[in-house]
Amino acid sequence: MKNLWIVLKFEIMNFYKNKSFIIATAIICGLLIIGMSIPTIRDTFFSSDEESAGGEDGYVSDQAFGFINNAGETFDSETLQEIFQGGELSEFDSRDTLEEAVADGELEAGFLITSPVEYQHIIRNNEMTDSSHFAFEQAFQETYRRSGFESLGIEYEAVESLIHAPIQRQTVVLGTDSAANYLYTYILVFGLYFVIIVYGQLVATSVASEKSNRAMEVLVTSTKTENLIFGKVFGGAIAGASQLALIIATAMLAYQANRSAWDGGLDFIFDIPLSILGSFAAFGLLGYLFFLFLFGALGALVSRTEDVSTSVTPITIIFVAVFAISVMGMQNTEGMLLKVASFVPFSSFMAMFVRVSMGSVTNWEVGLSLGILLATTLFTGWLASKIYRMGTLMYGNPVKLTEVFKMLFSSGQ
Amino acid sequence: MHLEIKNLYKSFGDTQVLHGISFEVESGKALGFLGRNGAGKTTTLRILMNLFKQNQGEILLDGKPFKVQEHQIGYLPEERGLYPKKKVIEQLVYFGELRGLGRKKAKENADIWLERLGVTQYRNKKLESLSKGNQQKVQLAETFICDPEIVVLDEPFSGLDPVNAQILKDIIREQIEKKKLVIFSSHQMGYIEEFCKDIALIHHGKVVLQGNLKDIKGNYGMNRLTLKDGKRSMEELKQLLQGEMSSMLQSVETAKEQLIIELQPGRDKREFLQRALDLDLDIEGFGLYEPTLEDIFVEKAGDIA
Repeated sequence: MKNLWIVLKFEIMNFYKNKSFIIATAIICGLLIIGMSIPTIRDTFFSSDEESAGGEDGYVSDQAFGFINNAGETFDSETLQEIFQGGELSEFDSRDTLEEAVADGELEAGFLITSPVEYQHIIRNNEMTDSSHFAFEQAFQETYRRSGFESLGIEYEAVESLIHAPIQRQTVVLGTDSAANYLYTYILVFGLYFVIIVYGQLVATSVASEKSNRAMEVLVTSTKTENLIFGKVFGGAIAGASQLALIIATAMLAYQANRSAWDGGLDFIFDIPLSILGSFAAFGLLGYLFFLFLFGALGALVSRTEDVSTSVTPITIIFVAVFAISVMGMQNTEGMLLKVASFVPFSSFMAMFVRVSMGSVTNWEVGLSLGILLATTLFTGWLASKIYRMGTLMYGNPVKLTEVFKMLFSSGQ
Repeated sequence: MHLEIKNLYKSFGDTQVLHGISFEVESGKALGFLGRNGAGKTTTLRILMNLFKQNQGEILLDGKPFKVQEHQIGYLPEERGLYPKKKVIEQLVYFGELRGLGRKKAKENADIWLERLGVTQYRNKKLESLSKGNQQKVQLAETFICDPEIVVLDEPFSGLDPVNAQILKDIIREQIEKKKLVIFSSHQMGYIEEFCKDIALIHHGKVVLQGNLKDIKGNYGMNRLTLKDGKRSMEELKQLLQGEMSSMLQSVETAKEQLIIELQPGRDKREFLQRALDLDLDIEGFGLYEPTLEDIFVEKAGDIA
């Protein structure tokens, strides 16, 4: 036990004293602080410009449009100009001047009204995303309606208030509010994905490099292999978790400091319920250890650090698939794939967390999944230490997994 | 302490590497473990260190199964292994702690050994920045840091210049004086002759010769004499002896500056000398032949394989 602690301490310090670890953490934290401070910076330096441009309705366009009314008395040009919201809309007399203005770029577009329900849209170039006629068409149609209702002797405002009755809705969520949880669940899942993939590689490389520089032979004779692999995995886990925690804490503090400038706009991200955080910690930690054990064992199967990436490819592919299933499952937490994945040890740590956070899941399901994951993680730890012990002194070509299992379960080992 | 290695067998795949290796070592004595490249020395030592599992055979310490973890062992592996990117002192302390020293004591011992081996100035340098010989010395400091009761050194002299080899010889001598149990392998006979009372010579995975070095040399010298003549060349002398004294001689060989003569069983040196004087030889040198370890080694393990 004492040796486990010594190995653990040594491995953690390997990370904490590693320059790239320190620099990467500092850069991420720095970017977060800057990102969180952008609204404050904007308010401090650009506040006056922003407000004057803001306007009251929030929607103001300084674009100019022109139209010609060839429908005569049947169409009310004044009403059209009054209700047009796309910018400045002026009336032209002749088609030539209108087309000229459009061709010169003075006008965004021109409209030639031929009847109350027909018009020509005159533009310079037809672009894929030309939207200049949307605002016009809305106003055009409303003008037609108004005059129509007027001719029937009905007050248009009355009809309007009937059609667009101001209905108010309040949602009472009995289960989980997926919409609000989406962002923080995504951030947590992605953070977990990122930490596992990075630290998995690091642990595998660290094991392989001890083989390639032959420190292994001295290590294995100095202490039990269990201490070595467990110390390494726990060391990597603590380094990764503390880095993630530091990043999250930095983001939260930076947000708190800039909260007024954000106008509380990100409260929903940082307002994660404790129960969700708890399940994230439990599933995340076990899944993290589970994968680190696998990465560590795979690292022991190669003799050179260059071979590590080839050796860990299968588990990386599985891991990326797990991430994809979980993220897709966030759109539909009741999907069968996600449900199945939430019990399979390879994916349950992520999939079950998504279900807990965004879907509805019973306590016994969570407990069962956690139990399966715990048992498998313990088993994987045991298996990893066996593979590690066996792999540590096999030099030469990378060992195939099938051979490993053959050797593990043959007599004598 | 009395360490017995009994009948070790080991194969890797279809290749049988050890065919029943047995030998014994005692505290206060050094066993020289000899053999050519690929003879099985390192495999035997790795089995002793529990790095490999033997297919058959056992290792006993004072009659009980030997468990590596229960003893302080200083092990210098054949392929040196430390962390190239870590500072010298950091890794020495780490290994010291792993082998049961407290942090303070590990630091103290590390400094003592770095001083002793003359590499104190590299204490806070990364290992990879040191020369090969100095890295070897750091590895030796790591081996002795926990004041081991059993010392297992696999080719400890390879890579050391004569001055450093002398330092290591002094250390090994000191370990023997301190009644440590020392096993070291080498194919450099000179070192083994210097301080090993016992040897075990293995060849193709078998012990072909073992025991007290003096006795072995004596046995090898038995009934062999050396002879040098002032007037005749070696070849003339050889022919003369083979012609005149064939009934008495088993074999006559030319060595560097003398003939090595093996007598027929039952004949003794006085009889031989009498006859030699009768032949009117101008005897410049006559004596008992004492083989070097190298001679024995070449004879026992000299086949080309």
